Amino acid sequence: MIAAVRRVEHIMGFPISVDLRDGDERSHDAVEGAFAWLREVDARFSPFREDSEVARLSRAELGPDELSDELTQVIGLCDFYEESTGGAFRSWLPGRGFDPCAIVKGWAVQGAAEMLHDTGARRFCVNAGGDVVTFGESEPGVPWRVGVRHPERADQLCVVLELRDGAVATSASYERGDHIIDGRTGEPARGLISITVVAGDLTTADAAATAAYAMGVEGIAWAAAQPGCEVFAVDSERRVFRSPGLPVAS
Amino acid sequence: MKIHRAIPVAVLSVAGLVPLWQYEAHTATTTEAAADVGVVPEAQTSAAPPTTTSKNGSGYGTAAPPATTTAKPPATTAAKTVNGKLVKTVHGDVQVQVTFTGDKITAVKFLKQPNTGPTKSAVPVLIQETLQAGTADVDSVSGATQTSEAYVQSLQSAIDAKGN
Repeated sequence: MIAAVRRVEHIMGFPISVDLRDGDERSHDAVEGAFAWLREVDARFSPFREDSEVARLSRAELGPDELSDELTQVIGLCDFYEESTGGAFRSWLPGRGFDPCAIVKGWAVQGAAEMLHDTGARRFCVNAGGDVVTFGESEPGVPWRVGVRHPERADQLCVVLELRDGAVATSASYERGDHIIDGRTGEPARGLISITVVAGDLTTADAAATAAYAMGVEGIAWAAAQPGCEVFAVDSERRVFRSPGLPVAS
Repeated sequence: MKIHRAIPVAVLSVAGLVPLWQYEAHTATTTEAAADVGVVPEAQTSAAPPTTTSKNGSGYGTAAPPATTTAKPPATTAAKTVNGKLVKTVHGDVQVQVTFTGDKITAVKFLKQPNTGPTKSAVPVLIQETLQAGTADVDSVSGATQTSEAYVQSLQSAIDAKGN
């Protein structure tokens, strides 16, 4: 018996929507397991929870031998993007301590999607507060259609993308203000209005979008040069730049 | 993995130039620091001897002047060129030449640079368009991280409410 599953939960302060098209009797448990993983990530990796691993690392309460495998993975990802953006992306900021949120979100949601896949789900889409990961197709022969929100008009789209087994993430300041800091200057990044990155997985798409936004205008070319990444960016003069391989719906 | 390597190299090349640009503020030690990296005087009017013997020009990015010096620079506007040290990178040899006019850097040129620059080979040509706005039937919406409070008014919440 195939039954679609559609669930929305609010975890880490943003909505997470699961749209599962080829569910079976195991699907409800699998979706519940994916949400349980995301709640666990929130408890362990939120810099805002005093007892989280991240907060303890921030206070220098964790030695090198006390880091969990998952925290080590997150630190490794942070280091990679910090180095490859020349310090524009930073997970340690003065006054803020260790804040790996930009990396943790995509990484955690990608993990949740892979948990669903491991239980046999083949056609589903997860949207975590605007970051989207897709597996398979929406219907046999039909790719997932993912709209990119217009940066100035919440009820409009500026481009529609077609994805099969791919992820898309957007960084911008229109929802939460100037929250992304250019680590090279310590000032909020302002060169771009929004930047959207398409990649094979959400870990890469989300991290690259945030890192590119922190870099400003030069982040467009940087993101386009990341392996497997396509980019759609709106600069502060409202010009659109996209890479030739961007999967735009016809 | 070539692309991974290309980015840091590009950044390092630029970082190497920065100390040279900053160098213009320190005029008294031009002669001495230049000697360390290979000076090519073109029309020097008074070759003032170095006032210190410190060695600090180990590379073109590290030609910082000594902290203390008493000699005034020669009052001249003659151009002087300084060749940077040859640096080997995975993409080929890089060497810059900086021209000073008086105490100002007036030109920087590459004496040697790789034939295929890292950015040239790694970054695809970007397409420029105008910003569009519209509606369409979609399965999901990507946007900047949305708070749970803002979600109720979003396109994504309408899609979730609609069902399949």
